[in-house]
Amino acid sequence: MQRRIVFVSLLTLVATGAAAAAVSAQDQFFLSPLTHSVSVYFNKLIGIIAGDWQGYGQLFTFLQGEWFATLFLAVIIVVPLVFLLHYLIVGAKHFDHDGEQILFFSRYARIVHFVAALSFSLLVITGLLMIFGAFFGGGIFIRSARYLHLVSAVVFVVPGLLMFFLWVRDMLPQLHDIKWMLIVGGYLSKKKKPVPAGKFNAGQKMYFWFATVGGAVMAYSGYLIWGFGASLDTVRVYAMVHNILGMGIVAFYLTHVYMSVFAIAGSLESMKTGYKPKEEVDILHSRYNYR
Amino acid sequence: MARMKFLCDVERCIDCSGCVVACKEGNHVPVGVNRRRVITLNEGKPGEKSISVSCMHCSDAPCIAVCPVDAIYQRDDGIVLVSKKTCIGCGYCFMACPFGAPQFPSSGFFGARGAMDKCTMCAGGPEENFSEEEHKLYGQNRIAEGKVPLCAGMCATRALLAGDADVVADVYRQRVFQRGSGVNAWGWSTAYKKD
Repeated sequence: MQRRIVFVSLLTLVATGAAAAAVSAQDQFFLSPLTHSVSVYFNKLIGIIAGDWQGYGQLFTFLQGEWFATLFLAVIIVVPLVFLLHYLIVGAKHFDHDGEQILFFSRYARIVHFVAALSFSLLVITGLLMIFGAFFGGGIFIRSARYLHLVSAVVFVVPGLLMFFLWVRDMLPQLHDIKWMLIVGGYLSKKKKPVPAGKFNAGQKMYFWFATVGGAVMAYSGYLIWGFGASLDTVRVYAMVHNILGMGIVAFYLTHVYMSVFAIAGSLESMKTGYKPKEEVDILHSRYNYR
Repeated sequence: MARMKFLCDVERCIDCSGCVVACKEGNHVPVGVNRRRVITLNEGKPGEKSISVSCMHCSDAPCIAVCPVDAIYQRDDGIVLVSKKTCIGCGYCFMACPFGAPQFPSSGFFGARGAMDKCTMCAGGPEENFSEEEHKLYGQNRIAEGKVPLCAGMCATRALLAGDADVVADVYRQRVFQRGSGVNAWGWSTAYKKD
C-alpha cells in the first residue's frame, strides 16, 4: 500500500515535471524569437554580408582612407630628400675605375638581376600610380597600371626565385653586419676606410630579404586581393599587409637606386660588365675573399 | 534638399525577391552582379526575418573614403554614385562596405574585376541625364523622372520604402504606432500563442 502511494506520487511528480518542461519548451518556442533584439538581428546580418566589419573592415577603411596614400607620399618624398642632403653634404664615393678590376657578378647573375630590376621597377611605379590614382584621375591610365602590376608581378616571380637561391648564402646575416649598421656603412664620412662587409653589406642584405621573402608575401597577398581568393576578412588583412609591406619595399628600392646610381660613382657598371674596381671591393666589401 | 534613403520594413518583407528581379531586369544588370539581394535570418525557425539589402547610400560612406581614384561620390540628396569610367576595379570599396553593396563584373583580363557596379537608387550616373551612355552604363534614371526606384516601386507588401527620408520615416512611424515593431509587433505570438 505504502509502496503504491510512493509510486503514484513519484509518477505524479514526474508527470508534472514533464508537463512543466513541455510548457516551458513551448514558451521558449514562442517567446525566444521575440526576445531577439534588433541588434542581435543586425549583428547576424552584418556577419553574413560583411564579415567582421567592426574589426577588419573599419580598420581597413581607416588606414586606406586616412593613412596609406599619405605615408607612401612621405616615403617617396622623405627618402629621396635625405639622399639629396647626403649627396650635397657627404657626396658620392669615387673609386679608381682604371686600375685592377675584379669579377663580381657572373653573366647569369647579371641577367637575372636585369630581369628582376625591370619587373621590380615596373611593380613599384605601377603600384605608386594606383596609390596616387586620384591625382592622375583614374580611368584607363590607372586601370592599365593595375593590369601591368599583375604582369610585372608574374614576371618578377621567376628572377625573384632564381636570385634567392643564387645569393641566399652570401646574404645570411653575420656578426660584422652589426658593425656595418653602427657606422651606416661608412656613408656618413668622406674617408675611404674599409667597412666590414662580405660580398654584400648589411644594407644589401636587408634589401635582399625584403625583396625575396617580402616579395613572396607581396605576391601571395596580391594574388588573393586580385581575385578575392579568400574570405572577405582575410582579403582585408592581406590588403593592409600589401600596403604596409609595400612602403618598406619602396623605401628600400629608392635606397638601392640611390646607392647604385649616385652614392657610389660608376657602381652601376658592375651590374652591366660584372667587374668592380679592386679599390672599391677592398673598401666597401673588405671581408670579401675574391682570390 | 531632401535626403534620399531606403528602409526595409522587416515585419513586412516576405522574401519574394521581387525587388532583386525588378532591379536586375529594369537596369539590365549583368549575370553575377546583384545590386540588391534579400537575406533571410533564422530561416525555417520561429523568428524568421527577411531583409532586402543594397547600397545604403551612407552619410560619410566608407567606400568614398577608401577609393584610390575618387570614382565614388555623393550627391547633395545623399545618393552615392560611381563613375564607371574612372573606376579601376581594385575592390577596396567592397572591402570597406559594411553592406557588401559594391559588385564587380569580370572584365576578362586574367579574371580582373571590371568597373564597380552598385545600386544607384535608380539615379543613373555622372553622365548626362537620360543619355544613352548613362542608360548603358548605369540603367534607368527614375529619380530624375520623379519616380521611386524600381525595387521599392514594385514591392508587393510595401516593405521596401524609398525616397525622401522624412516621408519614409513618417510612413514607418505610423506603421509602428499601429502594429508595433520588433518584440511587440503582431506576428507569432498574436497568431499562435494560445492564451
